[in-house]
Amino acid sequence: MARLIRTEKEVEGRYTEQWIVVEEDALERWPEGPLAVVGREAPRTDGLARARGEAVYTADISFPGLLHTAVLRSPHARARVKRLELGAALEAPGVRGAVQPGDVECLTREPGYPGAPVAAIAADSAGLARAALERIEVEWEVLNPLLDPDEAVRRGELTTERRPYARGDLEHGLAEADIVVEAEYRTQTVLHNSMETHQAVCRWQGDTLEVYTSTQFIWGVRNAVAEQLGLPPDRVRVVCEYMGGGFGAKNDPGDYTFLAAELARRTGRPVRCALTRREENLDSGNRNATIQRLRAGARADGTLTALGGEFVASIGASGWLASTAGPMQMLYACENVETLEYGAKLNTAPMAAFRAPGFVEGTFGLECLLDELAAKLDLDPLELRRINYAHADLLDDRAFSSKNLAECYRRAEPHWARREEVRARSAGPWRHGVGLASQIWYGGGGPPSYAWIRVGSDGRATVVTAMQDIGTGSRTAMAQIAAEELGLPLDRVDVVLGDSARGPYASISAGSSTIPSMGPAVRSAAADAGRQILEIAAQRYHLEERVLSLRDGRIVSTDGGSWPLEEVTGLLEEGQILGKGARGPNPAGMRVLTFGVQVAEVAVDVETGEVRVDRIAAIHDVGRVINPLGASSQVEGGIIQGLGHTLSEERLLDPATGGVLTQTLDAYRVPTIADVPEIVTELLDLPDAHLTNLGAKGLGEPPIIPTAAAIANAIRDATGADVRSLPITREEMLRALRQAADRAAARESVGASSA
Amino acid sequence: MIELRVNGGVHRVDPAVGRSLAETLREDLGLTGTKVACGEGHCGACTVQLDGVPVLSCITLVHTVRAREVTTIEGLRDHPLVESFVRADALQCGFCTPGQIVSAAALVEANPEPSRDEIRHAMAGNLCRCGAYPKIEEAVLTWRG
Amino acid sequence: MSAGRFVELRDVVPRGIAGSATITSIGAGTTLAELEVDPQIPQVLREACAAAASPQLRAMGTIGGNLLQATRCWYWRLGYPCFLHGGDRCHARTGQQREHAIFGNERCASAHPSDPAAALLALGAILRTDRRELPLADLYRLPTEDDRDLTTLSTGELILELEVPAPRASVYLKAMDRRKWAFPLVGVGAARFVDGVRLGLSGVAPIPWALGGPEELDRATPLPGTAYKVEIARALVRRAVDAV
Repeated sequence: MARLIRTEKEVEGRYTEQWIVVEEDALERWPEGPLAVVGREAPRTDGLARARGEAVYTADISFPGLLHTAVLRSPHARARVKRLELGAALEAPGVRGAVQPGDVECLTREPGYPGAPVAAIAADSAGLARAALERIEVEWEVLNPLLDPDEAVRRGELTTERRPYARGDLEHGLAEADIVVEAEYRTQTVLHNSMETHQAVCRWQGDTLEVYTSTQFIWGVRNAVAEQLGLPPDRVRVVCEYMGGGFGAKNDPGDYTFLAAELARRTGRPVRCALTRREENLDSGNRNATIQRLRAGARADGTLTALGGEFVASIGASGWLASTAGPMQMLYACENVETLEYGAKLNTAPMAAFRAPGFVEGTFGLECLLDELAAKLDLDPLELRRINYAHADLLDDRAFSSKNLAECYRRAEPHWARREEVRARSAGPWRHGVGLASQIWYGGGGPPSYAWIRVGSDGRATVVTAMQDIGTGSRTAMAQIAAEELGLPLDRVDVVLGDSARGPYASISAGSSTIPSMGPAVRSAAADAGRQILEIAAQRYHLEERVLSLRDGRIVSTDGGSWPLEEVTGLLEEGQILGKGARGPNPAGMRVLTFGVQVAEVAVDVETGEVRVDRIAAIHDVGRVINPLGASSQVEGGIIQGLGHTLSEERLLDPATGGVLTQTLDAYRVPTIADVPEIVTELLDLPDAHLTNLGAKGLGEPPIIPTAAAIANAIRDATGADVRSLPITREEMLRALRQAADRAAARESVGASSA
Repeated sequence: MIELRVNGGVHRVDPAVGRSLAETLREDLGLTGTKVACGEGHCGACTVQLDGVPVLSCITLVHTVRAREVTTIEGLRDHPLVESFVRADALQCGFCTPGQIVSAAALVEANPEPSRDEIRHAMAGNLCRCGAYPKIEEAVLTWRG
Repeated sequence: MSAGRFVELRDVVPRGIAGSATITSIGAGTTLAELEVDPQIPQVLREACAAAASPQLRAMGTIGGNLLQATRCWYWRLGYPCFLHGGDRCHARTGQQREHAIFGNERCASAHPSDPAAALLALGAILRTDRRELPLADLYRLPTEDDRDLTTLSTGELILELEVPAPRASVYLKAMDRRKWAFPLVGVGAARFVDGVRLGLSGVAPIPWALGGPEELDRATPLPGTAYKVEIARALVRRAVDAV
């Protein structure tokens, strides 16, 4: 029976309450460990299509008469458009249409960041559209930009209300402490740079708008486009079969979708609006910079008595305030915690979610601070973390649905024990060291999410759901789950996804939620189909259903009989067995979180400031692992993005004008294959006993969270230098080394004078 | 009108002066396996071979190709590297993958048993934002299965 | 790309390497990829070529083109009306300058990105154009109020060939933001000849920079944001001299 319930939904750490309808989903839990298909390594089922260049991405879609868009963007961080004349541009060769402020909501006469869209032109080719842009007559009144986040906070220029949090009494906790450490940490603005830029192709088919787009959330695009255009949602069809990376920046439709839709309406032609790489780095979101002023107090035995922090996030012209304070509030069992978060409104491009937004930044600050504290306490950093282990969620005293961080710590021991050996490698200018950092994050997913499945007379199953695979391998994982439930080999299951007109509502692929949201729905659909198959088989073979099961592509009876699946499904000829499934609710009153720890080994050339990361061991607790091969790829990918965040990536602005200087991939430095350390991945693979019919959590985000802190802590171990600002470029490393040397010299002179 | 030799075939095209090889391949010949991710020679997604040498098709003017043989991912679909990339899970979103395979194919043609360092040297111009690098290295090491 | 006319030089610029025991001739149309693996090429140049750009760019880019490579200065690349573009000031001198110059940076603080040029300076290479022969160092000039050019080439003048004397030993060291495929923050080429060690630096001045000796680093004029480059240069110069 369908049940209407009120449930909590979490995406990227943001909770909302909503009504959902769930059906009873009393599937037996699968045992721990590798099963027939689930829990075993599977190369991705769409790997060949992608590797052979046959997969059609939004960038590859073409229609007869397709027009291309070029967008006039503000070259100024803050300006007013005094005059805008499109006339000459409309006369330019190949131009078919144009839009300006007033025509589409995102176009503005008062741009508040460099790259803000002002007008757009559709033409026969991208080149002609760009050429026509030059003919737009525009006069700017250039205004002074606000670029300093602390200044924004002083002036009260905030994107959202300041966000205070407190439990216990911070001052009391600090007074109780034997040791107090205090430090300011900074993280930089980082650009997503997914390989496929943000883009959409819009085509009107009668009164239906088709949107082909590179997105992480087909249904979110459908609903947002329908709302802005005043269309019934089902008059918007969103298609995304293959997409070239998102990392959080493609959760929403984006200006390009609305521009393409309007230009398509005006011209009666299909229209592509694709960002160039430079536009991508101007106006497609970013991980916002943060300033973190942190304090921690502990008793001599290592018990944390106080954690406090003021956090300033450089949100940009608009955006939301991701929780940089989250790790400080949640990771440790500290009674006295106070945090205050500000979202500074600046004349810089709006932020967007970027792989564990807030927690990546906050974990860098907190976990480095913990190591500074451990040094003063003369305690082993791993021991300090164990002493302050949180056994329940301290935000509201909820039990964890599962938490195996202690087991992660235990599994980290052999890696941590390499310290002496690694440090002993130091020779010449190279100093070696080891550091670690813990990770806490969401990743439980939630309803609603649905899947259908059909089993044909050939005994093959097809999962149908309008989700998207953003490159994480969800398509393969869904096939594995359905194959497991139906007792089929993986190659007999297909997954059809990526089209809102051809499948039920499916979850966003963000917040590490695809597997925990979609997986249970797929299992539930497969179970529905499986039950029907057994019912039919029981009638066909005159047996009781309870003696039958599905295994290895056969219907198997407890008395030893077995029949190929096709023998039963084949009876139906053109008929199909149809199953449907839905994601059940999250466990009531529990907190569903992911955990982990990473141990980094680094070498620092103290003369040139070069930092080389040699090895990272990543141990994470994300519940049941569906595909260990794809999962290890996710871990490696997260760590490598974390490596770029830690060492080489930064969006640089001209300090006078706010202009973005790192728009191209020669200037903005994502890691190359040559930068990659040895990565050792260990996933506990312990199903969460309270979470869904799978016990699986998400894995996309956890691996990037502790990387920066683990590396910075290893640098401190190697050199004694405190790196408190990302990225740790040559100059930052040399600065920190100089500071450490000065400090040591000062200590010596004090020592000498007191002696 | 120019003649372009691509993947063993000959195509007659009439591109405007200044048109890139990538645009010609993708838009005029429909060979969309070659991806364009930056359009200015920085990322390697558009890599194709000219007479076996990996080059960036987004900054190669099509008129300069002349008699050289162009090999794109479409011409390498049956290369053992394609299988080894899938087997090793050396791709995630897959947008950089054709370029990765084109670069790797040129490498193993010249050096059938490359070391890890040689792979890192030869593949450093193919950026992968998903971070499939460890498995790309593995796929190239084990390309013969 | 937009331009009225393109001229293809591939057929008119010599390509290839010819060597004797004391001198190697390099056609200006030879690619960096060809140079990085050729045993006739001195180590410093092979290493500089191997450390330059990306594999694809090395396969496409010629040594002649590389010597004329434009700066990576973001202000210049993004079209700010800077000194090098004919404007009245250098935006980097008051702006973002971490990648910029520590020598010759009074009017324009851009940094020359060519690794091979630094190696060829260390080697004391001779350049032949269709009009003259000159030491490589004379190809470059710092921009002045009256002339913002960074080279002494005339319009239409074509670099044809390089002559590279064989050193007793040579090496190229490079500090960059990634392990590969990044422009030099500081690159140091060193070559030992009978009469001593010659040094060429990349990434430290608007043009490839010949360094008379390690002590000349004391006369660097770094900006606040490039002071760290002097520190790196000191270490790399010392290591390079030790190595040869």
